[in-house]
Amino acid sequence: MSTLTAQNPSATTDAAPGLPAPLPASGSGLSFGGILRSEWIKLRSLRSTVWSFALVIVVSLGMALLMSTPTASVDNMVFPEEQQLGIVLSATTFGIFFGQMIVAVLGVISVTGEYSTGMIKSTLTAVPRRLPALAAKMIVMFVATFIVGVISTVGSYFVASLLLAGNDISADLFDPLLLQGVFGGALYLGLIAVFAQGIGAILRSSAGGIALALGILLVLPLVLSMIPGEWPDDVGPYLLSNAGVEIFMQTGFSVIEESWQNLLVTLGWVAVSLGLAGLLLKSRDA
Amino acid sequence: MIQAQSLTKRYGSKTAVESIDFTVQPGKVTGLLGPNGAGKSTTMRMVVGLDQPTSGSVIVNGKPYREHKAPLREVGVLLDAKAVHTGRSAHNHLLALAATHGIPASRVREVIELTGLQSVARKRVGGFSLGMGQRLGIAVALLGDPATLILDEPVNGLDPEGVLWVRHLTRSLAAEGRTVLLSSHLMSEMALTADHLIVLGRGKVIADAPVDDIINASTRSTVRVRSPRATDLAALFARPNVTVTSVERDVLEIVGVTAAEIGDAAAGAGLPLHELAPISGSLEDAYMALTQDEVEYRTGGGTAEPEPERSPSELQEVAR
Repeated sequence: MSTLTAQNPSATTDAAPGLPAPLPASGSGLSFGGILRSEWIKLRSLRSTVWSFALVIVVSLGMALLMSTPTASVDNMVFPEEQQLGIVLSATTFGIFFGQMIVAVLGVISVTGEYSTGMIKSTLTAVPRRLPALAAKMIVMFVATFIVGVISTVGSYFVASLLLAGNDISADLFDPLLLQGVFGGALYLGLIAVFAQGIGAILRSSAGGIALALGILLVLPLVLSMIPGEWPDDVGPYLLSNAGVEIFMQTGFSVIEESWQNLLVTLGWVAVSLGLAGLLLKSRDA
Repeated sequence: MIQAQSLTKRYGSKTAVESIDFTVQPGKVTGLLGPNGAGKSTTMRMVVGLDQPTSGSVIVNGKPYREHKAPLREVGVLLDAKAVHTGRSAHNHLLALAATHGIPASRVREVIELTGLQSVARKRVGGFSLGMGQRLGIAVALLGDPATLILDEPVNGLDPEGVLWVRHLTRSLAAEGRTVLLSSHLMSEMALTADHLIVLGRGKVIADAPVDDIINASTRSTVRVRSPRATDLAALFARPNVTVTSVERDVLEIVGVTAAEIGDAAAGAGLPLHELAPISGSLEDAYMALTQDEVEYRTGGGTAEPEPERSPSELQEVAR
């Protein structure tokens, strides 16, 4: 039997430890600007973010390098201007096809990482209304990915231009089609990252989130193309990656002709993902 | 001040917290006590809106937590030492949380120093020991200089020096007029730290009273008597409401009368006493007496061994 004698707590005269100094009340309320800053600190203070973004750039430059290495077969050929533009444009934007997978994974884990580590409890305690935290997370991710995307495509343009100059192939960066490739490509990457964040917030599991995001992005178009009949051809252009690609390069295959229409389709996918994510975040226990 | 009214939480068919009412007063340390699965963590999570009550309500400093303009300034919370991204440094973790409320970086340095994390603040949290994780959790709770503190198992994993530090800290915070609610499995720690206790069992409030009252009400003091004529002495107290137990051949434990009464009676009868010692009840005994029927996960031995608690949502997480 325990013989511990209960002590009167007020009798324990402990020396007071160094207490926190009072914090001035001014300027220390919850604000959306503050939440944005918080999410930016969170994004940049993780190695996975830095590595993923670095990889997007490196892969893009690498692809541009591979696609513009001078080959003997075209040594003495002279290309019409339009074709030169096409060659430079593909070299500039080819990295995006690989970059989209990286940012999709990054987007998913930027959210699911908070759930697997328990960080989400800290996040939602600081922002108990929840939706501002999700919105800030997505804005920060979109802006960061967009900037990384622009660095990738512009960098790739210069790599390609440098190497292709040997074959007398060149294109002006300020050509509308190239500008669309540069900024449209970056926009697409940013939207994919945010779309994936929504998937992450819906599933709250890294493995499941990555599988679903990459499934929608890469596997769905493949599966659809193998289904016989006419309807897959009608639905195909509305798939996320099929419509998204048309934002930065016109393949000429799609029935959705205008870039802005394709942008709207892409935004629709993002909106569904984010809307569902917001709804679930608000209603579920953390 | 924390006020709960008919607060109820169900996870599927399992009721974690059933219609509980309580008030946590400022200016003192209130302990939330109960066996595993009693609903302590769930209750704390509902206070800060991480879990939505199935019915009922809980308000902090007059409003639901989420309606405060600066929640971190109102309530500092340590729910789980693992509520940190393992890939981030302690310094960046604090900086990110401080940023939401525009709390300056100087304050982050302050709480790092206060919790003694200076040497590891720039290291990634993944490599932290349980004790360092707890200190970081307490640093987070203190970040906003809040009027109310909620600490779930704050001494879990701390070394003796850390336990003492938390005890001093919580008592000083309460002495400043703040509301302090803490849960702990260490009953002896509660006896030293808390002024007031709310005891939960199977999602209900079993007791809500000052620590001393709970001890007095739930344990009857025992007097240990050693006498060469124990049998004769026992005969003196053969009356209702008094229990005499023979522990050894010449040792009795008597419940129901005071040591003074025993001494007087023995003197009157001319019986020699070699020992006369009142054994007062401990919080541990009071707790066991209170929660005897309320233990949800009983071990084979019959007594509930304190073990790390899992909140129901975490259990769901595992099941998933």
